[in-house]
Amino acid sequence: MRRRQTEWLVSLPTLAWLTLFVVIPTLLVFVIAFRPANPYGGIGRGWTLDTIRALATPNYLLIAWRTLWISLLTTAICLLLALPAGYTIARAPERWRNRLLLCVIIPFWTSFLVRVFAWRSLLHPEGPVKKALEAIGLVGPEATLLYHPAAVVLVMVYTFLPFTILPIYAAAEKFDFRLVEAARDLGARPFQSFRKIFLPGIRRGVVTAVLVVFIPALGSYIIPDLVGGPSGEMIGNKIAQRVFSDRNLPHASALSAVLVLAVLAPLVAVLVLQRKGKKSDIIMGEAP
Amino acid sequence: MRRSRFPIAMTAVVMAFLYLPIIILILNSFNPARFSSRWEGFSLVWYAKLFESPEIWQAVRNTLIIAVSVTAVSVVLGTAAAYALHRFGASRLQRVHYTLIYQPLVVPEILMGISLLMTFVAVGVPLGLFTIFLAHVTFCVSYVAMTVLGRLQDFDFSVIEAARDLGASSWQSTRKILLPMLMPGIVAGALLAFTLSVDDFVITFFVAGPGSTTLPLRIYSMIKYGAPPMINALSTLLLVVTLTAVLLSQRLANRRSGAVKSTG
Amino acid sequence: MAEFLEFRGVSKRFGTIQAVSDVSLEIKKGEFFSLLGPSGCGKTTMLRVAAGFEEPDAGRVFLDGQDITGLPPDKRKVNTIFQSYALFPHMTVRDNIAFGLAIAKRPKSEIRTEVDRMLELIRMADQAGKKPDQLSGGQKQRVAVARALINKPDVLLLDEPLAALDLKLRQKMLIELDIIHDEVGITFLYVTHDQAEAMSLSDRIAVMDNGRIEQVGAPAEIYESPRTSFVAAFIGDTNFLEGRVHDCLDRDYCRLAIAGLPEIFCFNDKVLQPGQPIYLSIRPEKIHISHDRPEEKSRRNYLPGIIEDVIYLGSNTKYWVRVGGYRIQVLRQHDRYFLDEKPLRWKDECWIWWHADDGFMLDHFRKADEGLLAVPPQSVGEPINGK
Repeated sequence: MRRRQTEWLVSLPTLAWLTLFVVIPTLLVFVIAFRPANPYGGIGRGWTLDTIRALATPNYLLIAWRTLWISLLTTAICLLLALPAGYTIARAPERWRNRLLLCVIIPFWTSFLVRVFAWRSLLHPEGPVKKALEAIGLVGPEATLLYHPAAVVLVMVYTFLPFTILPIYAAAEKFDFRLVEAARDLGARPFQSFRKIFLPGIRRGVVTAVLVVFIPALGSYIIPDLVGGPSGEMIGNKIAQRVFSDRNLPHASALSAVLVLAVLAPLVAVLVLQRKGKKSDIIMGEAP
Repeated sequence: MRRSRFPIAMTAVVMAFLYLPIIILILNSFNPARFSSRWEGFSLVWYAKLFESPEIWQAVRNTLIIAVSVTAVSVVLGTAAAYALHRFGASRLQRVHYTLIYQPLVVPEILMGISLLMTFVAVGVPLGLFTIFLAHVTFCVSYVAMTVLGRLQDFDFSVIEAARDLGASSWQSTRKILLPMLMPGIVAGALLAFTLSVDDFVITFFVAGPGSTTLPLRIYSMIKYGAPPMINALSTLLLVVTLTAVLLSQRLANRRSGAVKSTG
Repeated sequence: MAEFLEFRGVSKRFGTIQAVSDVSLEIKKGEFFSLLGPSGCGKTTMLRVAAGFEEPDAGRVFLDGQDITGLPPDKRKVNTIFQSYALFPHMTVRDNIAFGLAIAKRPKSEIRTEVDRMLELIRMADQAGKKPDQLSGGQKQRVAVARALINKPDVLLLDEPLAALDLKLRQKMLIELDIIHDEVGITFLYVTHDQAEAMSLSDRIAVMDNGRIEQVGAPAEIYESPRTSFVAAFIGDTNFLEGRVHDCLDRDYCRLAIAGLPEIFCFNDKVLQPGQPIYLSIRPEKIHISHDRPEEKSRRNYLPGIIEDVIYLGSNTKYWVRVGGYRIQVLRQHDRYFLDEKPLRWKDECWIWWHADDGFMLDHFRKADEGLLAVPPQSVGEPINGK
């Protein structure tokens, strides 16, 4: 059983590390949500349901709703921009493809905070975007671009766009574009062949792109913190406030537990859908 | 068949959208104006201020200490994990292993930050450079493992068998054949781990303690409570450093993969 | 019958490569027309121009008298069978076949009966629920045919549709395509590099090379009287002889002077002047070979030679014969191979002869086309005469 030994030997370090720093901490979040807080900012003794009950207030529901719609809108806009971009890069001549791809990746390699900051100064009341819009007459001098849910969506789209383009490009690059020609040949108009042939052909890439944007969007914290203001707060901000301002760890845990469940939902949905798709394939394969 | 111009136009818009903020930021780092809407001539005043600030240099020092140690540990752990996942992929243990490694890639950073904070508080570990190190390794391992795994998937294991056949021991064939051929993947993983560690804010924010301020934490407090124009200068410098590193590694990876292809 | 699909002066360039240059072609209604040529000769570009996937740089395309040059593919009553079949992988066989009608928003019941009829035609009614990756190569091909035919196109374009199949299946599908063409009676434009496919299926063939049309004609015409060295060498095999016109005996026959050989009689279908340089092409199977000099008859050419190589090919045998400065290939079908009393062997002296009608003078000769011919075995066996 040497093979088995080697397997354990090379797997054990990461298994142990991730158990210690991922599995146990995640379970701990759920446990601490049922603990009372102590006055020193730590975790008290005994068990309580008060923190869970406190989540049902209208204020939290509003925040949860806002978190959801901002994330959904961000995902939708990212997809809308990434589909043509991924398509174009995949259809570009070989030597251009890598260059364009690099152009998409470079913003990802720049500091995340710096990118958010760049938008903060762009949207600043004295910043160029505001001045430009004012000059055209689109906004009045009192309008605020910053500290608004729309600003949160804008900057989130900016941050997540490269992550959306990459999986779509990867799927489009493997796509056989002769299928689009075949569809056109059979009478489909450009948009019909896009919707009926191209989109189903890259559906895996689209699913990945959606997950890659939607899940981190749900947990956004810095972007609403720096450009959202009170009207753009999301669950992430509330968690941070409970930790850093109120020093109420059980409350933060309860909020985090809700976020964990919210993140799991789309993942489970995708897994179930994929399994269903596979099963129907197998059944058809067994048919004579 | 005339191809529609729409996707190309959209791509141009997307590229402009991606780069405009960065370009304006760079321009503004040379603009002495307090607010960025007016161009008041070329100046290096913000760079000069930046170099006079001792807090920045303290933060850079902390960041580098963490990033270097995190890269070293996560490269070793991540490479071993990738090997296990690839070689024993079918076993039940590896399926659990894979799920665990996948976790940090999908879970929002804030959840990782808060859960690690809870753990450190519950166990009573004092927050500081060490807790930041632990937290960073936890997510960097996954990125390294995935990068190396991608490389392993193109790896032809008959080369290892050939080495064993020619008399190399298990350890020799690993050291002389497997590791050198995986090097581009490992280097790419290391680079990724280093960049992620240097750049991480959210998780660091939760597990940092007094005296362990890293560069992103410093930038954050500068954004929130003070000196924005200095950040333009700092950001431009960071940009130059990361871009050089990325382009160099890209060139390196291309050359290496070319070499591996010709021998494989 | 009038022309139905017509190319008029079509040119198309890709970067530095001139794929098609100034090609004009007329295809009749109901015809099975083939574009035959080596890869890169521009035949697929022609087909893609007809389908509407490529727009020509110059020239026009007409379908049934209408200019369709600028029309997008979905507006043309033309359908394509792709080399890779391009079946939609996420759709069943039924949905693939129904695609064209579904796009045209035809009523559900009509689509159902039409698809059933097509499934019947390709004998795949029991496979309707399968996805393309569960089908064999031949089945995929039949689905591609059905999917294109259900739209009742004016012209069916076929881009090397048999290239992905193995030999036996290819022969079977060849017959099926022929039957389908007879049944549906629409115009077929068939692109292939395989001369056997083109020969056996086509009413007419256009042989293409380097973006130009070398010759258009019925299969027998193309084979029996090629106009250019390319056509002669690309289709079947041949021998080229280079010489000059000596004199013309009457309206039908000429005598040719070819260095190292006696005077050669040749059928003449052109206006020639004595002294004019010409190239002669003779197919190997038109040449006879024997040990002894045969009894002389008029209008025949008799040449003595030495056998340099004998290649047994089963149904026939190929001989490389040294005649003067030439190595001539001769193909002979034998009726009793093992019982031959005096078999022709390596190094034997022999006679070869052919009828003057079987050699033909080319309108156009290009040295490079000699590269398309079978190569004499230079280094095999002993060199003769120290050469």
